[in-house]
Amino acid sequence: MSSTIGVELKGGMYTFMSLKLHTNDMTVIDEKLADKVLQAPGFFKDTPVVIDLSVLEDQGVDIDGKALLECIRRHTLVPIVASIGDRTSPLALSIAIPLIESGARRSALSQEEPTQSADLPDKEAPSNTQNPIPDVDLSVSREVEYVVKAPLLIDKPVRSGQQVYARDTDLIVMGQVGPGAEIIADNNIHIYGPLRGRALCGVSGNTSSRIFCQSLEAELVSVAGNYRMLETIPEELRGKPAQIWLDKDRLTIEPL
Amino acid sequence: MTKTIVVTSGKGGVGKTTTSASIATGLAKRGFKTVVIDFDVGLRNLDLVMGCERRVVYDLVNLVNQEASLHQTLIKDKRIENLYILPASQTRDKDALTIEGIARVMHKLKKSDFDYIICDSPAGIEKGAKMALYFADEAIVTTNPEVSSVRDSDRILGILQSESKRSKMNEEPVKEHLLITRYNPTRVKDGQMLSVDDIVDLLAIPLLGIIPESPSVLDCSNAGKPVILDEESEAGQAYSDAIDRLLGEAKPHRFMEAPKKGFLARLFG
Repeated sequence: MSSTIGVELKGGMYTFMSLKLHTNDMTVIDEKLADKVLQAPGFFKDTPVVIDLSVLEDQGVDIDGKALLECIRRHTLVPIVASIGDRTSPLALSIAIPLIESGARRSALSQEEPTQSADLPDKEAPSNTQNPIPDVDLSVSREVEYVVKAPLLIDKPVRSGQQVYARDTDLIVMGQVGPGAEIIADNNIHIYGPLRGRALCGVSGNTSSRIFCQSLEAELVSVAGNYRMLETIPEELRGKPAQIWLDKDRLTIEPL
Repeated sequence: MTKTIVVTSGKGGVGKTTTSASIATGLAKRGFKTVVIDFDVGLRNLDLVMGCERRVVYDLVNLVNQEASLHQTLIKDKRIENLYILPASQTRDKDALTIEGIARVMHKLKKSDFDYIICDSPAGIEKGAKMALYFADEAIVTTNPEVSSVRDSDRILGILQSESKRSKMNEEPVKEHLLITRYNPTRVKDGQMLSVDDIVDLLAIPLLGIIPESPSVLDCSNAGKPVILDEESEAGQAYSDAIDRLLGEAKPHRFMEAPKKGFLARLFG
């Protein structure tokens, strides 16, 4: 039995529901959370959630970490990790669960070429601190609250090193996507030039999103975190029109 | 109207300085008042290729820091009327350049009635390269027929679209030209190099010219003479064609086919 792999330590991408706090008022949180859970009690039972503290952090307010965790657990949700920009802030230290740095994803997406930065609206940032949101919106999952938004259309080539992110919508690229370029969307991706870089659709967890391309030469394709590299893409599909989607959690590539 | 053209590539050693020297010389030869600026602060080379290294007194950094006047800094070419060289500093680094400083220099050049400002970019995608391309109206992207060079060119094209003044001011985008250098049709035929079609397909920008690999390029660089002045050489003729295309003339591309030389010519050619 010595050849058996006992454990494996690997990186992976998983989709979690995030619980975004717009207030530090525990009574309001308790009330709103009760409302949300009541809408679909079965759906939320024992569901792991990521606590998104970005708004509170931006407002510079604290929260009673212990009470918050108790409250979330009371509503049958399982807080697993808290997302915050600065892991050493007092706000972060008040939460007794693991922390991840929320800035990481956002800054990674807007970091490289700011060409498309206009298309990366920082919607998650608070409108401003002087104007605290009066009504509390405990937005839960994007899957639950899906708002129709115009697709992001890119009519020139996406060059190596550039990143384009279509938040909450489809991404349409009329030109090519160069090697080393990355195109990301919360919904479907359509590429009418050759796809030579990376394409990631459904990055916020939309497992029914798909990638459509005219010439599949991608370095990597991913649907809702399930990815494949070029070398595992069948030879006969390369350079051909293809679609990529999830068939029961299995990343499937088929000619168009 | 002054036109500012950056010669850039991302990758080093692909022929930016050779191209800058020949393009500037070619434009001046056709009667346009032209200045070629070496942006490679700390790794000054253009003066060598232009053959004026012994005449450098002041440099771009002095000009940016307002320690010297434009008149003192510009070196007038001895061969071609209307051609001026603005050398880089060898003792400083790229941090010595500022956008405001460069803007002042560009403004002075425009007021001195230059028709063309050719900016010889340093390699890389860092500050020096970004400074060189910031004020560009047009860009000549120099690429060798190999994958890493093409990918770096793709990267620099992306930076042109996002970091140039035109992009930041939401003006008409920088006009892009592809110049393939060190093209060796024989090696392309043998599959050792990318073909013109491959490169154009990968970069998707209009082709300005193909400069064949030629010993005269190195000979001229060593002699401090822009290769475009060597009218006998294929590289010189190819640069001359590129100038015509830059000025709007439609010219068929040459030097794309492997030469059909006889055995002896191949031995001694």
